[in-house]
Amino acid sequence: MSWLPKQKVVIPVDFSDTSLAAISTAVEMAASPADVHVVHVLVPLEGLSPGVVWGEVNDESREKAVRKSFAEYTAENNLEGVQFIVQFGDPGFMITEYATDVGADLIVIPSHGYGGFKRLVLGSVAERVIRHADCAVLVLRRSDAE
Amino acid sequence: MRKSCYGVVVALAAVSFFVISSPLAAQEAAVPSAADSEAAESPAAESPAWIQAVDAFFAKYLVKPVAAVAFYPIPYYDFSAGAWRPSVDPATADLPENQQKLIGTQLPVVVVWLVAGATFFTFRMGFINIRGFWHAIRVVKGDYDDPEDEGEVSHFQALASALSATVGLGNIGGVAIAVGTGGPGALFWMLIAGVLGMSSKFVECTLAQSYRHVDPDGQVSGGPMRYLADGLREMGLGVLGTFLAVLFSVFCVMASFGGGCAFQVDQSLGAIKTQLTWLDDGHEYVYGLVMAAAVGVVIIGGIRRIAATAEKIVPLMCGLYILIALYILFANYDRIPWAFEEIIRTAFNADAAKGGVLGVLVIGFKRAAFSNEAGSGSAAIAHAAAKAEEPIREGAAAPLGPVIDTVIVCMMTGLVIVITQVYDPAKYPDLQEYVIGDKGAALTSKALELQVSWFPYLLSVAVVLFAYSTMISWSYYGERCATTLFGRRASLPYKMLFLVFVFLGSIVSAKNVLDFSDLMILTMAFPNVLGVALLSGKVRRDLDDYWRRYKAGEFKVHK
Repeated sequence: MSWLPKQKVVIPVDFSDTSLAAISTAVEMAASPADVHVVHVLVPLEGLSPGVVWGEVNDESREKAVRKSFAEYTAENNLEGVQFIVQFGDPGFMITEYATDVGADLIVIPSHGYGGFKRLVLGSVAERVIRHADCAVLVLRRSDAE
Repeated sequence: MRKSCYGVVVALAAVSFFVISSPLAAQEAAVPSAADSEAAESPAAESPAWIQAVDAFFAKYLVKPVAAVAFYPIPYYDFSAGAWRPSVDPATADLPENQQKLIGTQLPVVVVWLVAGATFFTFRMGFINIRGFWHAIRVVKGDYDDPEDEGEVSHFQALASALSATVGLGNIGGVAIAVGTGGPGALFWMLIAGVLGMSSKFVECTLAQSYRHVDPDGQVSGGPMRYLADGLREMGLGVLGTFLAVLFSVFCVMASFGGGCAFQVDQSLGAIKTQLTWLDDGHEYVYGLVMAAAVGVVIIGGIRRIAATAEKIVPLMCGLYILIALYILFANYDRIPWAFEEIIRTAFNADAAKGGVLGVLVIGFKRAAFSNEAGSGSAAIAHAAAKAEEPIREGAAAPLGPVIDTVIVCMMTGLVIVITQVYDPAKYPDLQEYVIGDKGAALTSKALELQVSWFPYLLSVAVVLFAYSTMISWSYYGERCATTLFGRRASLPYKMLFLVFVFLGSIVSAKNVLDFSDLMILTMAFPNVLGVALLSGKVRRDLDDYWRRYKAGEFKVHK
């Protein structure tokens, strides 16, 4: 991996503060904001919430909602121009598959830095991405990681 | 704060491991001793040894410890005798438990808790249950619906979802049990409990809306586990809030296995067995398997269309059930005045054998709380999902739940039972086995059969659908609480365990499993009512502000 600006940077976000803050890091590393592909993976619906039962909440409505949430965030933080992609499935798998498909040269992934019990329970998307990625992966550790 | 929350969860996980593992070990230890009998060799579903083992497990490790706290009998002042009445005869108080003599009526602490809570909320909110009634109807009608509001579903859909969880076998079986054990007077107290419960619903559902969390993908999560933790933290009671939220979630998961699941299967089986007698001779497990499969394809298989259909049929079934009841009342219109007289008379002047007035009151309140779940906080999880401009508006719609559930559906069942007199040992001595065995739905079925021979078939269909939709809705409540406690990964194991309880409900009809169902739904009220009472000041301020603007006509009507 060279230190030249990257042509295609893939960055997954889960809308946590940590992951949103990492978008600016990705923008710094890319040649232009348009080279940053922000990927949000929606996991399949699980609970039978009233919205699901009445058919008001479905993949279409969820994609619309996350796009709106992301547009609000970029407008507030001067990040216009970055690409936003919504995928459905297992986050670890979908992120690396997307990166391979578009021929990304870097995946930037924020890590919550959980340790001990929480790591066991919550798992780590970062771990799975590192294991399966075909390109360079930059893991951003939180300064207060356990 | 997050840390302390996780701390509590970890501690609780450790405790539950400890608690669960020891009974399991005990059960395993019990199996070799039973291995002498052939039944243990092949663990057939109808094996009595196996059922007894499960029943004993429930009694020893779940029912007894919880009952000891929740149903702790409070001494009360007996006005007619002019003395304080402890429930245990003081002369025998020092003896071991099985030799103590019981006198008077047991006044379970959880029932007192629920009634005190509902009465407090009624006064605290200035009789919102009565003054807000017309507004509630307008909200549910959709007069104020704005599709742009944040949330998942309309007010009407949220109410229908909440009702699908509460309108269940409690309304058909539970009421019959109440009349059978407490006499017709229990209905009067159920009605009072339903009206007071409207206020509890108002406050808890308003709070569920205030403290709900909307995910970036538009999914809403809310309910007591959220408002107890976040609301009390705002008041500087973070530790208490976290503790109550965890306690609530644990009780809710257990209640979903009991009242939301095993009770529904057991009672609906009781009702259809009166028609499909083939199920009676050791074939109960077939019904359990069918139900488990039908629930499984929806909650694990993800075939949501079935759940959607079932949930939409519930209002229709409700209507059909009310029509059946109305037909019977109409056909016996000459007995209606007598029935009302009997209900009022026995409400205040009850048979001492049924525990006197207090005993009837306790039965009425307990069955009402079990049926409409006001104060236990479960419906708040469904109401949190509604699209609402302000929390008070959804809160205002929620009291219609107890109205439909208790004031209408329960009273219909109750009147049919009273008018047909199936509860009366003098008139139908052969039906007493249903009363004694807590087979309420079967008793209701008999009552209908006495009027029109084919009504029980309609009832069977209604009962199975009520049971089914209640289980689907409760599986969602339980799943929300399980994932709050243990994270998203708990979802699948929770659902599998839920299916196990669906199956267990069909074969273990023993009393302990039913007691367990009762207990868990009622005990959810301990953390919930306490937290809601602490947060009620904020709700009252919001309500006053909202009501002023409502009276001033400041709300935009969209329809």
